[in-house]
Order: sequence, then C-alpha cells, then structure tokens
Amino acid sequence: MRIKNMSWRHPALQIATLPLLTVLVLFFLIPFGMTVLLSFQVTKLYQVAWSWDLTTWKDVFSHSYYWVIMARTLKMALICVVLCVFLGLPVAYALVNRLPSMENHVKILIVFAFLADAILKTFGWVLFFDRSGVLNGFLEVLGFGPAASDILFTPTAAMIAMVYNLLPYTIFTIYLSMMRIDRDLIAASYDSGASKLRTFWEITLPLSKPGLLAGAVLVFVLGLGVFLEPKIMGGGTSPLAAELIRQTFETRVNWPLGAALTIVVIGIGALTLMFFGYLLIKTTKSQGGNT
Amino acid sequence: MTAPIIDMKSLNKFYQAYQALYDITLSVEVGEFVALVGPSGCGKTSLLKILAGFEELTSGTLEIEGKDMRDVPPSERPTRMVFQKLALFPHKTIFDNIAFPLKIARLPKAEIAEKVRQMLDLMHLKEEYLTRYPSQLSGGEQQRVALARSMVSSPSVLLLDEPLSALDVKLKKSLQAELKRLHRTLGTSFVHVTHDLEEAMMLADRICVMKDGHVLQIGTPNDIYYRPAHPFVAGFIGDTNLLPATLTYSQNGANFTAQGVSCAAAAVQTTQLATDLDADHALLMIRPEMITINADAPKNCQMTGEVEEFFVKGATIQYRVRVQGLENEVTVETPGTAEVPISVGQTVRLNFDLSDIFVLGA
Repeated sequence: MRIKNMSWRHPALQIATLPLLTVLVLFFLIPFGMTVLLSFQVTKLYQVAWSWDLTTWKDVFSHSYYWVIMARTLKMALICVVLCVFLGLPVAYALVNRLPSMENHVKILIVFAFLADAILKTFGWVLFFDRSGVLNGFLEVLGFGPAASDILFTPTAAMIAMVYNLLPYTIFTIYLSMMRIDRDLIAASYDSGASKLRTFWEITLPLSKPGLLAGAVLVFVLGLGVFLEPKIMGGGTSPLAAELIRQTFETRVNWPLGAALTIVVIGIGALTLMFFGYLLIKTTKSQGGNT
Repeated sequence: MTAPIIDMKSLNKFYQAYQALYDITLSVEVGEFVALVGPSGCGKTSLLKILAGFEELTSGTLEIEGKDMRDVPPSERPTRMVFQKLALFPHKTIFDNIAFPLKIARLPKAEIAEKVRQMLDLMHLKEEYLTRYPSQLSGGEQQRVALARSMVSSPSVLLLDEPLSALDVKLKKSLQAELKRLHRTLGTSFVHVTHDLEEAMMLADRICVMKDGHVLQIGTPNDIYYRPAHPFVAGFIGDTNLLPATLTYSQNGANFTAQGVSCAAAAVQTTQLATDLDADHALLMIRPEMITINADAPKNCQMTGEVEEFFVKGATIQYRVRVQGLENEVTVETPGTAEVPISVGQTVRLNFDLSDIFVLGA
C-alpha cells in the first residue's frame, strides 16, 4: 500500500511520523507559539512586562521604517531568486548536456564551494572588491586607474555575495530535474524539426519546472533571512530584516518588538511559499502526475 | 524505376576504436517497407540513428531524397522517428503532442487542427483524448499517438525503432496489422528496426538481416526464409536443418553428397545454390515442414533415423530424429493430428524432395 493512499489516521503512519513530529513540535511549533505570545507583551526598563495587549503590534504598524526594511528584504530576496535561477539554469543545462565527461568534477567543485564556511567566503569577496583588492588591482593593470570599482559596502556587493552563497541550491535542484528528463524527448523534439533553442523552451524548461520552483523557494526562504552578506558586504548601511531583528533583540533589548518583527518576516515567507506551492501543484497536475 | 529514397553506400561507423557498422550498402525505394533485423548489438539501431541524424557516419555516403545527408541535423531531415520508448512529451496534451511538428513548422492554426483530426481518424484515436496527457492513456493508445506525431507532417521516410517490443503479444499483433495498413494507406517509406524476424517477415517488403555490424543478406521475406545466404540467416527464423555436404558443379547446377542422405539423383539446379559457396564445405538446407515422416508419397531423397523426442505444438507436431552419421538431430514438422502416430525410440523413414533443398555456404 502506498503511503499516498493511506489515511493519516493509520496507526503505522502515526508511529512512523512520530520522531519528526516530536522534533517539529519541540523545536519549531513551541518556540513559534512562544514568539507569538511574546509579541503581545511590552518592554519596560529593558524587562519584558506581561501586558497582553496590542501595544507592540501598534508600534510595528505605525513605524514605516520597519516596513521599508521588510520591503527591501523582500526585494533583495526576490532579486536573488531571479538571479540564482537565471545563473543556475545554464550551469545545470551545461552539466547535463554539455559536460558529460566533466560532470562529476564540476559537481565536486560546486559542492566544495557550497560547503566552505559562508563567513570565510564572504570575507573573500571583501578582499576581492576592496579598494586595494584583487578586482581594483586587475582594473588598474588594465588601465582603469586606481580604485576604479567602488561597489564594496553597497547593496550590490551584498547581492553578489548572496547570489554566490545561494546559487548552489538552484544549480542542484534544477540539475536534478533536468537529469531526469528522458534524452529521447529531446531527440524527439529535434526529430520533429525543432531547433536547440526551441527544444529548450518547449521541452527542457517546462520539464525542469519542479526543480526550478523548488530551488526558487529554497533561495527565497534563505534570502529572506540573510544576515551575514548585507552586514559584511553591504557595510550595514541598508540593513535587512534579519539585522533589524538582531538589533531589536540585542541592542534595543526589546524582545516583544523583535518577536513581532520575526512573525512579520515569517508571514511574508509563508505567504510567498504558499504562492509557490500553489504553482508547483498546478504544474505537476498538468503533467498528469507523471513527475 | 524511380531513384531510391534512401541510398547508403559503403557506410562505416566507428565508436572510437570499436567498429559498429561495416561497409553497409543499402537502398530503400519510394514507398517501400524495409525491416532491419538482427540480434541486439548487431548495429541495426546505430544504422537507424545515422538515418535520423542522431549519429554521424564515419565513412561512406548517405543520401536521402537524392541529397547528401552529411552534416544535416535531424531537424532538417525528411525523416521522422518513432522511438522505442515512444518519447511522448509528458507535459503536453495529446493534441499538443501530435501537433508539435506542425507548430514547429509554423502552420496556420486551422490547418494544424485539421491535420491532427485526420491523424486521429487514421489512428482510430478518440477525440476526447486530445485534451488528456500521455500518462492517462494505455500503452497501445500511446503507441498510436506516437505514430500520429511522426506521421502528421507527412514525412517521406518513417523510421521505427522497435516501437512494438515493449507491448504484450496480443497488442503487438494488432499494432503490427495497424502498421501494415498504415503503410499501405500512406505510401510512405518505412524503415523498421526489430529483433523479431517473424515480425519483419509479416510486415516488410524487404528484410535486411544484420549481425555484428555486417549485412548478411538483403531480400524479400521469401528469400530470407527459403534462400538464406548464410547459416545464421537460415537459423534466425524458425527451425531448420543444415546438413554438411560436398558439391561437384555440373552443367546446370551441382551434384552433392551428404552423410546420411540418399537420393535418386543427388543433383540441384543453379537456382538452388547460394552465390557464395565453397564446394567442399556446403550446407543443404531443408525446412522441417518439407520433410515427411513414414509417408507413402514419392519423394526423391531419403534418410533413416530414430525418434529422440517429439513436441506437440497444436497446429503441428515436431520430431527430433537422430540420423546415423549426422552431428545434429534432424527436425521434422508435420501437421498436427489428434493422436501422435509415432513414439520415441521408433525407427522412421524421412523423405523430402530435391527441389526443396537450398544449398548455402558453411
């Protein structure tokens, strides 16, 4: 009997899901519930005061400053998703179709880059973009004069580091989807008279959609929570949501406000996830459940 | 006679150091149904892929419709392929699958709809399938859709890569009949790859038997069955008897001597001799159904042996008879009877006619 067809009331299924359920309840649902409760309190003299009212939430909704940061966070995450998808697509396509002999070497390189510590990698980019760094040194040799590029400590630099750190997620999810496409389908498309570009558009891309959406969701969720890249590469001039929440908790010691802001970020993430989930279900359905 | 639609001359194919095809020379006439037959690894699929343009040929020439096909990609060839695993697009509806080649060719919408409808009628597919997806159809229906997609743009050559091999016997039989009907109605040239010689005999006008990258014989189904050029071809379909013999050529044929066979006048006509023969190492081929067992009807040749085993096959009964001086048992097949008239261990007389012999090289 396939799990898909089993009632969720089935005792075997309940036992099988018990460990995961316990972990999720203990480390996700309960802390989340506590965060929700916390957001209905206020803070007095750096102490949480149990007031059970909407003061904190009124605070959140009356300060446009928070929403500017939320909007910026959402914008950065969405741009990051788009860039990661557009950069991940050709890499995955090349891995599957153009480099069959070097496939494993390239995969290992990507995994190495992926597993290296994010702080290390981000500081690597700082050295690269620094006024007297590798990039400017190179540009100077080419005759662009000293310190020709000055993008370090801008949102652009933060975006570059974000894309760099999150790109493997899209590469691998798209790669896995593309690898599962039957080569005969591509051959059948060529045989029907389609060009390479047309075949990519009509066959490869639609059949990679599940992996593409999954990668996009991953990058989006992770992109909403980035903390390191805007702080190191962005120079702290245009903070994102994670930095705002950290400051609220640590510097301002306003736990209820921090909790409320956390819930706002989770809400934005959840709504977007639902949207992507809806898209995913729609595409898999249109394939007659064949994927 | 018009020029052939496919013309291959001394075609060779190498995969690195491995030679997959040796010196293939084969032409297909307009409207002809040619089957490429052979065991797996014989190169028949490589040959089909070269025709479709998915593989480059290493040397030799390939012309389709009189045009040299070197460096012509699959998308620009006048051929269409039916894939072994069908390769229907899972994310497209049946309509979009069938219409795909027409959409690529940028035909007007109304014309596309019209042609898809014609294909639907031709392939006996129901109209309600058009909005469904391939996974919602049965195996046989998917097969018809794949055929429809390949035929919809009226290609001049249809290449079939064992599309029936995955189907169960009953469905296979009905689709074989369908293919034959389709070929007759459309007048398109078919090149059909199969490992099943029986299927090839049923469908094809001409059969090309291949083994280890070589073409062993090209001929009509009757050539292949009654006048095989090679022992492998003789043994590839059904059972056969190959008796070692030596020849001495005469005015209008040859005289032969073969162990265990005694004939009134052991001579065959020139038409009963394969072209490529070694007089000292020839083989007499007699099909099992040509031999009678303990029958009174007069025949020129005779053998005597002991029945080792028999098999009741329904329509026929097959006997294995051990003949003194022959390494292999002689296989005899007689029409089935309600009672098996002969028992194991019995000594029997086998008779056949001189005219039923075909002589080939060992």
